[in-house]
Amino acid sequence: MNKSHDSAGASGCGSRPATTGLNILNQGTPCSGGGSCGGVSCGGEQRSNADSRRQFLSRATSMVFGSFALTLLPMESPETTAETPLPAPLNGGAVPAQPVASAAKPVLYGFLVDTEKCIGSGKCLSACRTENHVPDGYSRTWVERYIHFKDGTVQVDLVPETGYHESTLPIVDAALVDKAYFVPKLCNQCVDAPCNQVCPVHASFTSPEGVELIDTDHCIGCGYCVQACPYGMRYINPETNSADKCTWCYHRITKNEEPACVEACPVGARVFGRLDDPESELSKRLGATRTQVLKEHLGTHPKLQYIGLSKEVV
Amino acid sequence: MSQQFSFLRDTRHLQAVALGLVVLGSGLIAARSHLIPKSFGEHGPYRGDALREIAAQQPVLTSDTSCLKCHDSVHEERAESPHKDVACLHCHGNGHEHMAQAEKAAADPGLTIEKAKPWDGDFFTRLDLFITKDRATCLSCHEKVVGMPADFRSIDVKSHLADQGAENIDSPDVCFECHTGHSPGI
Repeated sequence: MNKSHDSAGASGCGSRPATTGLNILNQGTPCSGGGSCGGVSCGGEQRSNADSRRQFLSRATSMVFGSFALTLLPMESPETTAETPLPAPLNGGAVPAQPVASAAKPVLYGFLVDTEKCIGSGKCLSACRTENHVPDGYSRTWVERYIHFKDGTVQVDLVPETGYHESTLPIVDAALVDKAYFVPKLCNQCVDAPCNQVCPVHASFTSPEGVELIDTDHCIGCGYCVQACPYGMRYINPETNSADKCTWCYHRITKNEEPACVEACPVGARVFGRLDDPESELSKRLGATRTQVLKEHLGTHPKLQYIGLSKEVV
Repeated sequence: MSQQFSFLRDTRHLQAVALGLVVLGSGLIAARSHLIPKSFGEHGPYRGDALREIAAQQPVLTSDTSCLKCHDSVHEERAESPHKDVACLHCHGNGHEHMAQAEKAAADPGLTIEKAKPWDGDFFTRLDLFITKDRATCLSCHEKVVGMPADFRSIDVKSHLADQGAENIDSPDVCFECHTGHSPGI
């Protein structure tokens, strides 16, 4: 055999792979032979391998199904946790401090603007400025005037805070006007508020009554929310260096008073009230009329509703 | 034997690592409890105290119910008037300080309530309370402007005064020759 190997080796290098292959085979046989003699240890190893594989598979399967089962659990959002009162030990045994409503069922506020009634007196604007100490040059609410001319163009201007009396705005020739109306703007208090979602420090939050508020102590003034609001309702207050916006006068409504702009409207174009009370003026008005919201396509679900909007109003 | 427990040689390192982790962890927990406000998460993912702070702010504007507590005759004057839904503050200003004085005077009869000042006709003078016999007050609502609802009583001042044959056209209190504020009698 060796001889032939040698001859093969001498005859040509082509036979070399065959030799190595044979050697490998020869090396292989003692091992399989050993397997038969030391069968106990070898077989035991195989069984333990099989066991661990089975264990691994069963654990992996239970983990996968377990994680699926977890998704079936009811999701708890912060709003729902706020509604459910904490058990006494978790709450330090104290009565939960509720600023307005009972823990079980919070009050829900709504706002209706009747553009068919607004006369553009601007009284709401100065009232809001006085009530909320809004710095000059900034506004929490404003009133737009839409003028549709007979040639099809639409002009929008802002109602001066003093009303139109002695205003410097150019006088519009009524003969050229098709229709004209005023649209008061204020915070829409969206159910899915984009301004709230983008706040990086949880300084922007929704009260249990559904009012969007700002924690001025924690606001870092990054202005992200100012960019996020599709209605342009937020601004950075230069006095506090914090974001600021219309709160529907949260400090008034929680004392059973009306927001300042509602109080100041001489014609009842702004209606504020409780949505959860069917006897409130707001609920009655909402039940009797058809209303619209601004930029409905954005899916922000505003709680501020309007009567008499035209498609040009954005 | 010595080879079997050779890993014990490294326990000192393991102890150092464990101690480091404990120190780091407790430091993080301490920092977290220090940085997160106590009332955070009370109602939701925000500082619960912020809600109370905002709700505790004192209202500035007065409502009619406060005014009518003392000036109840005005309520009767306005009962049949087109101005019955017009709040006091539209024509008389806010009256916040006036209210505070009245409350003090109710407790101590020796105190006198300051009289309301006359208004200068400028909407940016934010007087607390003013007596107004000024056409600017009337015209802030009733001057005809493009955009007003058709059913609202609006006038073009010049033609209205000419129609009614008013004499002192430029006088600030020209409106009050025919109308009163509480019951304008249109």
